[in-house]
Amino acid sequence: MAKPVRRRLRKLLPWALGLFAGGIVLVLAIAYSGIFNIAASAGHPVLLEWLLTLGKERSVIVNSKPVDVPELNLTELVPLGAAHFQGGCATCHRTPGQRLNPVYDQMLPPPPDLKVHAPMWTRKQLFWMVRHGIQFTGMPAWSGDDRDDEVWAVVAFLEALPSMNTVDYLKYASGNSKDIIAAQAGEVASQGRPKINLTACSRCHDTDNAPPTSPYVPSLGGQNKAYLKRALHEYHSDLRQSGFMELIAVELDNEHINNLADYYASLKSSVSKTAQNVSSEGAMLAVHGDLSHKIPACLSCHGANKRPDYPRLAGQSEQYIKQQLLVLQRGIRAKTPYGAIMTTIAKRLTEQQMGAAAAFFASQSLTERTEHKAVEGLRQ
Amino acid sequence: MKQVWMIFCVMALLIIAGCDGRQSAFTALGPVSSRITLLTWIMFIGAAFITLLICALMVISIAGPADWRHKLTSEKSIVWGGMVFPVVTLTALLIYGFLVLKAGGTLSQAENPVHISVIGEQWWWRVIYRHDDGHTTESANELRIPTGRPIEIELSTADVIHSFWIPAYAGKVDMVPGRTNILHFIADKPGTVTGQCAEYCGGAHALMSFYTVAMTPSDYDAWLAKERMDAKPALAHEGEQVFLSSGCAGCHTVRGIPADGKIGPNLTHVGSRLSLGAGILPNTKEGFAKWISQHKTVKPENLMPPFDIFSESELQALSVYLNSLE
Repeated sequence: MAKPVRRRLRKLLPWALGLFAGGIVLVLAIAYSGIFNIAASAGHPVLLEWLLTLGKERSVIVNSKPVDVPELNLTELVPLGAAHFQGGCATCHRTPGQRLNPVYDQMLPPPPDLKVHAPMWTRKQLFWMVRHGIQFTGMPAWSGDDRDDEVWAVVAFLEALPSMNTVDYLKYASGNSKDIIAAQAGEVASQGRPKINLTACSRCHDTDNAPPTSPYVPSLGGQNKAYLKRALHEYHSDLRQSGFMELIAVELDNEHINNLADYYASLKSSVSKTAQNVSSEGAMLAVHGDLSHKIPACLSCHGANKRPDYPRLAGQSEQYIKQQLLVLQRGIRAKTPYGAIMTTIAKRLTEQQMGAAAAFFASQSLTERTEHKAVEGLRQ
Repeated sequence: MKQVWMIFCVMALLIIAGCDGRQSAFTALGPVSSRITLLTWIMFIGAAFITLLICALMVISIAGPADWRHKLTSEKSIVWGGMVFPVVTLTALLIYGFLVLKAGGTLSQAENPVHISVIGEQWWWRVIYRHDDGHTTESANELRIPTGRPIEIELSTADVIHSFWIPAYAGKVDMVPGRTNILHFIADKPGTVTGQCAEYCGGAHALMSFYTVAMTPSDYDAWLAKERMDAKPALAHEGEQVFLSSGCAGCHTVRGIPADGKIGPNLTHVGSRLSLGAGILPNTKEGFAKWISQHKTVKPENLMPPFDIFSESELQALSVYLNSLE
C-alpha cells in the first residue's frame, strides 16, 4: 500500500516545486514591473484592507499577552501622559476637540482618533502599541530604550482620554504652563498662533508656585546647575533614556541648556516636603548605608557639600526616586559614567530599601540642610 | 627527541625561576614554615627512594636471576616489604606530621603574641591590629609584623571562603564563613614577602594578594604607633575636596577627616603601603590614577563602582592626595 502512495507523491513533487518557484517569480515580476500602486492616495483594495487589519489586530492581541500590568495610579500618571501626548502624539492623533491636521489625515492608514479608538483596546494592548509601535502605519516605537515604566503614563492617559472634554484635556496637557491667551492678529501673523509648546518645561515640572504635575516628575527648582546641564546633555545625546525627555532635549542647543540649567538652579523650590513618614530603615540607609550588602550611605554622594554634578535628592517625590532606582537597577542608565556608579549600587538594593531611601529623601526639604539635626542625632 | 628534552628543560627552568623566594614554600623564613619545608623534603626524598626501590624490584622480578625472583615471592618478603615497611613508614610520617602541626600549637601558649585579625573580603584583605590597651587600628591589603615575636592571626571572612597563605611563614589556613581560625607563626628576620588568597573565591581571586613586611621589633613599634594615628592634615586640599565631595567616603575611611565608610579598604595611611588594589599596582601617583580610572580593567569584577567621571585635573589631585596619605 505504502509504495504506490509514495510513488505518486514523488511524481507530484516536481509540480509542487515548479509552482512554488513560479509563484516567487510572479511576485518578483509584479514588484519589479511597478504595476502595484502604493500611492497613499490610492487607498487599499477592500480585500487587502481586510487582510492588513486582521493581521494588525491579531498581532497586537497575541504579542501583548505576556505584558505584565503594574498597578496604575491614574491620578498620578494622567497629567504626565497628557503632557507627553500634547508634545509627542497630538501632532498626528489630534487633540480633543480639534480636527485632524489635513496633512496627517492623508496618511495611509490615517492616524485614528484615540478618543474613539483607545477604548477598543485593553490596557495590555495599549501598552504594547505605545511601547513597540506598529509597522507600515507610521506609529513609532517608544523612544526611551527599555523605559517601559514611562509608557504606562501614556496608557493611563489613553484610558482617561475618552471621558475628557477639551477643557479637561487642556488643563492636564498644559500642566503648570501659562494659559494659552488669544493673541493679537499681528502677533499671529508674525509669530504664529500660540500653543502649548513641546519644549515648555512647566507642562510637567515645577514653577515658583506650583509643584510638578505628577509625582513621577522630578522637581527642578534649586537643583544643582551642573547636574541639570549634565542631564539635559545626556538626554540630548541619547545617553540617558527617556521617551519623555529625549524628544524635548534634542530640540535644545547648548545655549538653551545652559540657560535652562541656570534658570532652574536659581528657581526657588516650591516643594518643601513630599512625604512625612520615614522609616528608620530609610534614615539608616541614607546616613550609614548597609555594610552587609556593601551599600554606601546615600548622603555620601547626595548630601550637603557634594559634587555639583551629583543630583540633590531632598524634596524629590518618593515615586520618582524609587522609579529612577529601579531604572538604574535594570542598567538602563549605565551608559553614562555617572549612571554607571549608581547602577553598581542600585543593583545591591532590595526593592524595600529603594522605597525606604526614597521616602527618606522625600521627607527632607531642599531648603533645609540635608544633614539636619535629626540626621546628626542618628550619626551619634 | 632532543627538542622535547630541550623544551622540558626550559619549562623546568621557568618553573624553578618562579620560586624566587618572595612567595615560595621552599623559602622558609620562620620556624613554622621551616618545619613544613623540612617535612616536604623528607617526604619528597623518601618517596623518591621508595619509587627507585619499587622500580628495582620490578626489574628483578622480570629479568633478575631465578633465586632472587624466588626470594621475592616468599611469604617473608611480602610480610616485611608489603606490610611492615609501609605501616612503619606511614606511622612515622604521621607522628612527625602531628608534631609539625603542634608546632603552631605550642606557639599559641607563647607569651606576648602580636594579635592581628585578617578578614577576607571579595577581593581584598581587611587587616586589624589589636593593641595591648584593647584599641584597634584598621588597615588593609598589607601585613606588618615584628621579627622574633610569635604572631597570632585571627582569620575570618566577610563573604565566601578565602584562604590566607604566606608561604614564607606558614601553611595556608582557610577563612570559613561563620568561623574564626587562628594561625600562629614567627618571622626570623626582617624582609618583605608576598601572600595570596589560596582558595578560589570568585572573579578577582587571582588578583587578591598582599605584601607582608617583617620588621625589627623597634621598627615595628614605631610603625604601629604611626599607623595608629589619624591621617595628617592634607597639604593636597584640592584632592581631599574631590575625595569628600565625590562620595569616596561612602566606602572608605580616612581617619582625621569626615570619611568613615567601612565597605572598602581603609585608606588612612594608604600612601605608605607597598601596593594598591591588593598587591597588584605600584603605590605611586600614577598607580592611584590608574586604579581610579581603570580599576575595572586592572582588576575585573572588583566591587568598587566605576568612577569615570573625573576630569584630568581632578584625577591628578585625587591621586596626589591619596599618595600623600602616609
